[in-house]
Amino acid sequence: MAILELNNVKKSFGTGHKQVDALKETNFSAEAGELIAVIGPSGSGKSTFLTIAGGLQTPTSGGILVNNQDLADLNEKQRSKIRLKEIGFILQASNLIPFLNVDNQMKLLDNVKKDNMTKDELNALYENLGIKDLRKKYPADLSGGERQRVAIAKALYSKPSILLADEPTASLDSEKAYEVMELLKKETKQNKTTTIVVTHDTRLIEYCDKVYEMTDGVLELKEKPSKN
Amino acid sequence: MLLLSNSLTGCDLMFLAWNEIKKNKLRFTLIMGVLMLVSYLVFFLSGLATGLASLNREAVDKWDATAIVLTEESDKSLPQSSLTNEEVDAFKDNETAILGQLNAIATNGDAKQNISLFGIDPEEFIMPDVTEGEKFAGINEVIASDTLKEDGFELGDELELSSTEEKLTIVGFTDSARFNAAPVLYGELATFQKVKFGEGVAEDETQINGIVIRGDDLSSITTSNEDLEVIEVETFIENLPGYTEQALTLNFMIYFLFAISSVIVAIFLYVLTVQKISMFGVMKAQGISNGYLSRSVIAQTFLLAFIGVVVGFALTLISGAFLPAAVPVSFDIPTMIIYGVILIIVAILGAVFSVLTIVKIDPLKAIGG
Repeated sequence: MAILELNNVKKSFGTGHKQVDALKETNFSAEAGELIAVIGPSGSGKSTFLTIAGGLQTPTSGGILVNNQDLADLNEKQRSKIRLKEIGFILQASNLIPFLNVDNQMKLLDNVKKDNMTKDELNALYENLGIKDLRKKYPADLSGGERQRVAIAKALYSKPSILLADEPTASLDSEKAYEVMELLKKETKQNKTTTIVVTHDTRLIEYCDKVYEMTDGVLELKEKPSKN
Repeated sequence: MLLLSNSLTGCDLMFLAWNEIKKNKLRFTLIMGVLMLVSYLVFFLSGLATGLASLNREAVDKWDATAIVLTEESDKSLPQSSLTNEEVDAFKDNETAILGQLNAIATNGDAKQNISLFGIDPEEFIMPDVTEGEKFAGINEVIASDTLKEDGFELGDELELSSTEEKLTIVGFTDSARFNAAPVLYGELATFQKVKFGEGVAEDETQINGIVIRGDDLSSITTSNEDLEVIEVETFIENLPGYTEQALTLNFMIYFLFAISSVIVAIFLYVLTVQKISMFGVMKAQGISNGYLSRSVIAQTFLLAFIGVVVGFALTLISGAFLPAAVPVSFDIPTMIIYGVILIIVAILGAVFSVLTIVKIDPLKAIGG
């Protein structure tokens, strides 16, 4: 069953001869446990696609179904609730709160949502991500790689059905970037999450189940190259 | 109230607020410091307003009277009013006390002080309690305000008064006895008459300045004599020279400080909020509601204002204890608590700008989408 569906979604900015189609009519579907890459050059519409899929902006036309619930029917407050309940974000610049230590980054989510991971699940997640010794550290005390792993933990902590990652490896060296992709793959399979990674780094696609390419607002399913 | 009416506990609300304060101690200490200084100033001005008001009215307050009768032509001024003893009879349905009053300079040879001499009947209700020494028992004996002790006056002192040859002896002291910023000397009406009119004034020629009346309510105190005016005690006090102008000036300063503290908090929090737009945007992208973020800002403001006001309150009382007696400061704790609560409320009102900013943050723009 599709967890996330985009049906005939289109996003345009401006009107008349100044109209720009950031996302041309797009159909997309993703199922539980799938790790999907959306690649393409800067300005191709990848981020527009991701933010529409995450309910951060509304499409000009078309429908977005998250667990069969159409985001187009919802107001901002309701979409905010869906984001909190169903969607985890990993952003290019990590989405950590500078004045909260790692444990408190998670505790913040406990304040706004109740059915998050249990203590044991969180410990296992920390273990998997290799950050269990960082729990009392603040974002400023962490390296780029550590920050991104904590950001992944934070995105997964609320047990989202969809994980949307915008250039999650942009600030990392190759080794750390592969590590992060490995972790995303592991968590996606283990928790049956639907993970969509938007990246311009084609080296990362080998970790993904499906690869889409975005060119000038047009999203196309690509044949995934073999590992060799 | 709407912002607070959901299932979040105070602890949840304070979570972001308290953690941010802990991590940015200097920044928030500065904000608290400003609020502390503003509250210190407000409390001090309130103490000054109360002290100066007491300086003018404490003797009158001690009468616990309902009204005072003065002549119409005196324009509510006690020294300008002149009545005869017989006019008291018109108010015999109420508890009355006759009062003669004059202002003079008193000296014991060393110290010199402005005083207000009250001529009274010791059997009537405005007779003060003696806190030291004894009651006056004859002509030219007086009970003095105990504030005169700080000026160097003592029991047994013989006082020379300006504009008269009469000498008065301090036989006792009483507390809370200042009238229109001058310490009061209480003596028999005959003492007052002698000081004011000299020896040999006939009994039927004696004059008093006013009749103090204690009744059930003001409406029960009336007179058909058109030359007399029944004045409510509060109105009488408000008409003391300089009293209202002084109170208004200090109160205006306090009210302006309320407005200023609100603006200061608004500016500080707004700048902090603008610096955190991207952080709030990320949180909103994650689905954290405007309500939660707004409540956190308000909780943080409450915490900062509360600590600032409590420290300001404590500092005011501590520094008040070290002030010389000449400074007319008197701290009225209930008034200070009310002002403290108002300061916290106006600080929270100042946070409303930040709340509006947070509500308007577009998470998409904030995260650079």
